[in-house]
Amino acid sequence: MMTPIARPFAAALLAATVLTPLAVSAASAQTVLRLDEVAVGELDPGKASDYADSILMFNVYDTLVLPVQGGPGYAPHLAESWEADGNDFVFKLRQDVKFQSGNPLTAEDVVFSFDRMKALGQGLSFVFAKVESAEAVDAGTVRFKLSEAYSPFVASLVRLPILDKALVMENLGEGDGEMKDWGQAFLSANGAGTGAYKVVAHNPQQETVMEKNPDYFLDVADSAPDQVRLRYSLEAATVRTLIAQGEHDISSQWLPPEVLKALAGSGAQMLKETGGGAFYVKMNTAKAPLDDVNCRLALASAFDYSAGIQMVAVADGVAQGSPSTGAIPVGMFGAGETPLVRDLEAAKAHLAACQYKPEDFTLELSWIGEVPIEERFALLMQANFAEIGIKSEIRKVPWALFTELVSKPENTPHISQIFANAVTGDPDTLLFPMYHSTLKGTWQSPENLEDATVDELLVKGRTVTDPEERQATYAALNERLMEIAPTIYGYDRQSLFAASNRVKVPALTDPDKAFGLDGMGFSFRLMEMTGQ
Amino acid sequence: MPPVVRLLAKRLGTSLLVLVGVSMLIFAIARIIPGDPARIALGPNASVEQVAQMRERLHLDDALPVQYAYFVRDVFRGDLGISLYTNRPVTTDIAQFLPATLELILVAGLMMVLIGLPLGVIAARYRGRWADHAIRLITLLGVSAPSFVWAVILMLCFAYFLPLFPIAGRIADSYAIAPVTGFLTIDTLLAGNLSAFANAAWHIVLPAFALALSGIGQAARLTRSNMVETYDKPYIEMAQSYGFAEGRIARRWAFRPSLIPSLTIIGLDFAAMLGNAFLVEAVFAWPGLSRYGVAVILRKDLNAIVGTVLIISAMFLIVNIVVDLLIALINPRIRHSQRAG
Repeated sequence: MMTPIARPFAAALLAATVLTPLAVSAASAQTVLRLDEVAVGELDPGKASDYADSILMFNVYDTLVLPVQGGPGYAPHLAESWEADGNDFVFKLRQDVKFQSGNPLTAEDVVFSFDRMKALGQGLSFVFAKVESAEAVDAGTVRFKLSEAYSPFVASLVRLPILDKALVMENLGEGDGEMKDWGQAFLSANGAGTGAYKVVAHNPQQETVMEKNPDYFLDVADSAPDQVRLRYSLEAATVRTLIAQGEHDISSQWLPPEVLKALAGSGAQMLKETGGGAFYVKMNTAKAPLDDVNCRLALASAFDYSAGIQMVAVADGVAQGSPSTGAIPVGMFGAGETPLVRDLEAAKAHLAACQYKPEDFTLELSWIGEVPIEERFALLMQANFAEIGIKSEIRKVPWALFTELVSKPENTPHISQIFANAVTGDPDTLLFPMYHSTLKGTWQSPENLEDATVDELLVKGRTVTDPEERQATYAALNERLMEIAPTIYGYDRQSLFAASNRVKVPALTDPDKAFGLDGMGFSFRLMEMTGQ
Repeated sequence: MPPVVRLLAKRLGTSLLVLVGVSMLIFAIARIIPGDPARIALGPNASVEQVAQMRERLHLDDALPVQYAYFVRDVFRGDLGISLYTNRPVTTDIAQFLPATLELILVAGLMMVLIGLPLGVIAARYRGRWADHAIRLITLLGVSAPSFVWAVILMLCFAYFLPLFPIAGRIADSYAIAPVTGFLTIDTLLAGNLSAFANAAWHIVLPAFALALSGIGQAARLTRSNMVETYDKPYIEMAQSYGFAEGRIARRWAFRPSLIPSLTIIGLDFAAMLGNAFLVEAVFAWPGLSRYGVAVILRKDLNAIVGTVLIISAMFLIVNIVVDLLIALINPRIRHSQRAG
């Protein structure tokens, strides 16, 4: 016989068993896409910088231009067309676009979005450093004035999401001056864009729920998910279990290779994003013995590139990296064509030409404590360099400490490992911060490189406008960076995402539909729920 | 003044002092951790000028005592500052995440009491027999593995291989429950949605049990050993010689004195669960304060670190006061000792 205490428990269990499936099936008429990313999800597009922020931005907001799918260049999006006029760029806006609030898109909204980005000075606002002002010529035309010729400007517009000025102005929070807080409090919890998805609920550390915007200015297929739940900071074990149980659709790219491998083995599809960045092993050129180009070339030749790819392999032919061809990832202007390979004989010859003898120094190989794969690369380098007689010691450095260490060349380790990507898809945003001598000594430039030819080519790359000339400039830059070897170009980064078969993501499976810009493959309007 | 009130006043006074001490300590430690919080908050691409502006806004260039004075002034206004990690007021974050953790540890605490103590009583009552051996073995397993190991094992067994329980979250996505208390089991009842209540209760079982297992083991083992000791006391022998029923002896004379050390340990375990909850919250994607606390430490989010540690310290102190009061109520010797003091 059941005791009085046991009865309520039994009733609750029975209710849970009977009622939960009913509730779930009632809600299943709507297609729901569930994916995860690393917290936090920054919803304010003026502060967006991480991957999760980009996913939110590209779905809740739109930009004047979009990268062309499957090829280089940019296509009109909110803009109908544009033309360059000296250092000015004039954009004609589409007339059929409405914000999610119902307000029509005007040039004032574009000007407001730009002014806000500059005023906050956060996130990726640095890509607009060369833009002096934006002004509304008329309701449908906007003019950007640049301080000097800057050809990647159009590319940088993929990082200028357009805000609903009227809505933001109605919701200004506390702050000084006319613009008070520029709507920061409001925009950190609400959307104010034209995007294909509306924010329904947002908790930056837990989950963002979005629903399809029925009034979007472009056609969106019925098969695109009705609702999207972007969860933050799920554990690898949890993601694996959820996908296996059909309760999750797309993992983040940060799953350990062995978990990706297990998911691939159990039938999950692998989504790929390429072309945005690379894994760089940076050598401090301001510190002996790496101030000698021959020593650097010796290390670059001794590095085992194919073993590096194997270390990030998930399955046969599927890896979190593809062979590097040089400083510029394949797919960008100026990328090389021949994959780099190890050459021990060349390494020994370079070392013999180096003014420092291996017995006289010990290299410090650092790895970022928060990125465990870098420890494995440090061990690989230690073994590789030992084969040509170079001693080394491995040092784990937390990211916060690393950003401080690199501010002084004498504190910067001999070897640092960095994953870097072009935030606009243009090689300028990848290479200029890494190699221009005026920007040395940051987390991106622990090489502390000072090379006049590199500086000249970097400046030329951002001033010439003809695509062919840009291609030739970056090809020459790539060649120069191979010659002076400030960096070992480890591999081109390839982000892998495990996904259930409930969803099709052409932008992450078909190279002809890929955007070449981190996070844009997660445009939910281009995804299809299969109903499996 | 009644002795219990005197005890309460004394404990509140010392707790306040402890909180002030903790705030000073954590305030200093948070600023010693390597890395510039402004640089971390603004991201790797921020310019030197942007970083300098934020340092000025956060008073990071002032002397530590000056910074602490700003902090105390803001605390008295109910303002713990803005989290550099979530860009929201720390009080908003804590208000959002604390109820989830409290709900989890309250259910885990209930499990400790409702499962751990009876297991200890049964083991003591049947000491030396198979029931005693079985309970000791099971409770040993409970205390010998940390809660996150149990979290993964329970998830694999009862959510993956045998899909009886949900894997992640506090409630199924299909429910939209307006927060009132932040405790989903209560909010669903307030909303009159029994199906949602059942779902929320169903979601909390595995994480709470994983969190409680170690405490259940400790409570059971401690209760058993204390009761076994009590059984050897002369007054128990006297009760037995008078022929009182074994059940009555266990309940009235053996269990109650044994409860005092068990309660103390349960109280400490209960408070410690706030810290231990982190990995359980991570495994079950439970959106709680412990997970938030670890994330803000990793990002050197000064305001959020201090706010979170203060809240967790306050919880420790509250639980300790409650336990002290309970023990005073149970044990007349402690209660009456306050009179003399």
